[in-house]
Amino acid sequence: MAQVEQFQYDNAIVRKFAYATMVFGAVGILVGLLAALQLVFPALNFATAETTFGRIRPLHTNAAIFAFVGNGIFMGVYYSLQRLLKTNMYSKFLNEFHFWGWQAIILAAAISLPLGITSSKEYAELEWPIDLAIAAVWVAFGVNMFGTILKRRENHLYVAIWFYIATWVTVTVLHIGNNLEIPVSMWKSYPVFAGVQDALIQWWYGHNAVAFFLTTPYLGLMYYFLPKAANRPVYSYQLSIIHFWALIFIYIWAGPHHLLYTSLPDWAQSLGTVFSIMLIAPSWGGMLNGLLTLRGAWDRVRQDPILKFMVVAVTAYGMATFEGPMLSIKSVNAISHFTDWTVGHVHIGTLGWNGFLTFGVLYWLIPRIFQTQLYSQKLANAHFWIGTLGIMFYSIPLYWAGWTQSLMWKQFTPDGFLQYGNFLETVTQIIPMYALRAVGGALYVGGYFVMLYNLVKTIKSGTFQAYEAAEAPARVATAGAHKGEHWHRWIERRPVQLLIGSTIAILIGGMVEIFPMVMIGDQVPKIESVKPYTALELQGRDLYIREGCISCHTQMVRPFRSETERYGEYSKSGEFIYDRPFLWGSKRTGPDLHRLGNKYPDSWHYNHMLDPTSMSPGSIMPVYPWLIEDDLDNSLLPAKIAVLRTLGTPYEEGYEEEAIADAEKQAAEVAARLRKDGIEGDNLEQKEIIALIAYLQRLGTDIKPAPQAGN
Amino acid sequence: MKNKSLKALPLMLPLLLLTVAAQAQDAADGGSNPYFYDNFLFWSLAALAGTVIVAAIVALFHLLNVMVKVNQIRIFQEMGLEAYEKEVQKAKEPFWDRMYKRWTDAVPVEKEQDVMLDHDYDGIKELDNSLPPWWVAMFYITIAFAVVYMTYYHFTDAGAGSAEEYEMEMERAEKAVQAYLATQANLVDETNVTALTDAAGLETGQNIFNANCAACHGMLGEGGVGPNMTDNYWIHGGDIKDIFKTVKYGVPEKGMIAWKSQLSAADMHKVSSYILTLVGTNPPNAKEPQGDLYEPQADAVEQPAADSTSTAAEPEDALGMNK
Repeated sequence: MAQVEQFQYDNAIVRKFAYATMVFGAVGILVGLLAALQLVFPALNFATAETTFGRIRPLHTNAAIFAFVGNGIFMGVYYSLQRLLKTNMYSKFLNEFHFWGWQAIILAAAISLPLGITSSKEYAELEWPIDLAIAAVWVAFGVNMFGTILKRRENHLYVAIWFYIATWVTVTVLHIGNNLEIPVSMWKSYPVFAGVQDALIQWWYGHNAVAFFLTTPYLGLMYYFLPKAANRPVYSYQLSIIHFWALIFIYIWAGPHHLLYTSLPDWAQSLGTVFSIMLIAPSWGGMLNGLLTLRGAWDRVRQDPILKFMVVAVTAYGMATFEGPMLSIKSVNAISHFTDWTVGHVHIGTLGWNGFLTFGVLYWLIPRIFQTQLYSQKLANAHFWIGTLGIMFYSIPLYWAGWTQSLMWKQFTPDGFLQYGNFLETVTQIIPMYALRAVGGALYVGGYFVMLYNLVKTIKSGTFQAYEAAEAPARVATAGAHKGEHWHRWIERRPVQLLIGSTIAILIGGMVEIFPMVMIGDQVPKIESVKPYTALELQGRDLYIREGCISCHTQMVRPFRSETERYGEYSKSGEFIYDRPFLWGSKRTGPDLHRLGNKYPDSWHYNHMLDPTSMSPGSIMPVYPWLIEDDLDNSLLPAKIAVLRTLGTPYEEGYEEEAIADAEKQAAEVAARLRKDGIEGDNLEQKEIIALIAYLQRLGTDIKPAPQAGN
Repeated sequence: MKNKSLKALPLMLPLLLLTVAAQAQDAADGGSNPYFYDNFLFWSLAALAGTVIVAAIVALFHLLNVMVKVNQIRIFQEMGLEAYEKEVQKAKEPFWDRMYKRWTDAVPVEKEQDVMLDHDYDGIKELDNSLPPWWVAMFYITIAFAVVYMTYYHFTDAGAGSAEEYEMEMERAEKAVQAYLATQANLVDETNVTALTDAAGLETGQNIFNANCAACHGMLGEGGVGPNMTDNYWIHGGDIKDIFKTVKYGVPEKGMIAWKSQLSAADMHKVSSYILTLVGTNPPNAKEPQGDLYEPQADAVEQPAADSTSTAAEPEDALGMNK
């Protein structure tokens, strides 16, 4: 027997991440509540750029995912990793670097997103300098984690750590893959891939950000904290093995289910569908192992709020991972996609699974590192019920809204007209549901503050134990298989092989889908009439990106009668070859814009951006007065043209020299048309709105017959 | 078990007869149907076949029962009385309990020490329960689904792609609309439209106007982005037929939408009629006249004095809406 060694668990880093989790959880859900209220009361956009929905929404998603859940992951990993490996962390410096680096990134996001600095790619909005910082901090985390694994005293790696490893490697690959971009300036870049290819890569990332940032690390946390809190053995080791490998292998393929019925080639869409269906069992494997671990402890679930939170979390995980595959069936997706159904679906996952599991872990962990009891079980139980009610009030109205709106979009009269030809009717119909959703959100926020009070009281009543003494025998490395052991034990002793194995598992799906799309030319049929954006249109497009129009408007007319009737010809992949980034969007709070060009006069757009209700009474779109007040900054234009040409947009040699003059010329034309319609304004042609109008009027017109001149 | 199956038989027979009777009823409805006797023959044969199938099922149950008994006897002979009694007990366990056990295959909590692995991670132990068979079955079914799906849509020509699906949808819709229109007499179009005067129709027309037209033409028809509708000057004609036509086909090059894909003929009829009632209302902030003076033939509306004097000047068109 090896000699027993003394060492200390480092709780100081755990406490730091726990505090950050508590603070950013509040920020994330409060910003979410603001966004929810803005949909009911557009005045809450405050007519200010920084507080308008299009910029608030990415702030909410980033705060909730990367600040709240991110810090939650690190809190749980730093606590459990040391204990599962019977060692302290590898490097104190890396602990600090990781913590402060991550918080600095959050701060940078909190500043840059309201300023409109965004790549517009969902959950990857941050611009390239911040992307680099994320990569650096993530690598530091990886080094710290593997350093710890290598100096472990425990011979085998527990299932939680398999999930941590898979998380680390996959997020690394996804983050790099989706942020291949060329900088134009410090705060502006264009992605390497365009249109359909960019879309596929974005949703390979976006889907797997959910998988490997919101799911696999939390499964790891579940595997540690749930058996700990329940004091029960994990139900099935075999199930852990099978569902772990199946989950990480299959998950990565399912990204294209975000692009069903879009211009993505059918074969890729189908792969998205079938791999999503095959994902049910591996996902449920995790749920089953969680719930069945509670066998023999269900009597305690009735009293213990921590177990209650965990049970609802795991159940929400099971519901969301069944619903997800159902939504990936094309005929269901035809109803759900672009509606609030999707928003309801993801919030079952985030509020239920991530939120409640985090709460369970906090209630369990804080009293332990402060060597005390939870201040109030009663308040924790109250939090549980308020939070659960909040989730119900959040999701049920959104399911209702999604169904209602989708059916209204699709409803035809017997003589062949859209029953609700005016898109706005389908929006005003569901505003009461938006209001109820905000009530649900407010309940969830209320419960959260009950928790904060409870935890602060707990912290005050205890004494923090920064370093917790522990002892364990030194590890005796054993070579070769042990007689009669399970075959999987072999790899559990070999972290490097486990890392390589999971890397291979997660690379296959992405390669099979992405490589043909990017390398085989005929995947995107060329359309002769599709031309690059003019300098001014490009500027307008970047304003569209800055304002986060993509939060509410899609640019993807799907091949449905109800869409071609409403918007025009369905979108073709060849139309997007100069779209860097692609702007297909994922939610239609407002109508699709892909065929907007030439639909309204320029002056309509001018008035509409100034006050949407003047053109569409009852609209919930925010006002954009700053577009009319602020001058367009053309200083980056030559650099933008040069970068885009490098990436393959066929701008003529030397166009960057003329770009500014060309933009000014086109701006003068737009301004002249506006003046003709009686719109006054000093230096009208220099305003941002002019560029935006030029872009909006270009949308979808490359293959749309231009209006004939004369009468 | 034998008794149970036999009891089921009398229950099944009336059911079978009922279906036959229902079919006969159908046949009787078409009394003049010359194929009545063919159908009768068919259904008689079907009834006979049904009876044979029921009898076969009963026989199979019986056989199964015998096999179970034989197995129990074999167990008795080979393993003794104790094993036999256990086996008989198992057979008496309710069906759902047996199914539950078979499909979950979980070692009960009381016996979990039997499957406790020697793993210990910071006090966390692991059991060696087998994969739940229902879960494994579900996994296989989803994999089979994937194979069938990909084969159906991509390795054969059987399944329609998105574009093909769209063509089919449009074709179906076109047929349905044509079939519907065929049942509708006297459809309104620009050749036969007349101005409505009933209050209900005009009120609907007003609602349609407010929802769709007011954005460009003003809530009172005073004009804005689009021309004024309250004066006697019309760019594309001021007769009800002209207005209907402008609404229907639009003037796309000048920003006027063709409403025919968004409003039904009846709705365009109502809104056009409503627009006619706006003439001469003199709302505040009215836009300057555009287009040509139009003199209504029958019920001439009195013309504002300002307009009659300004005809000399070609009305200026902010939108470029004059030719």
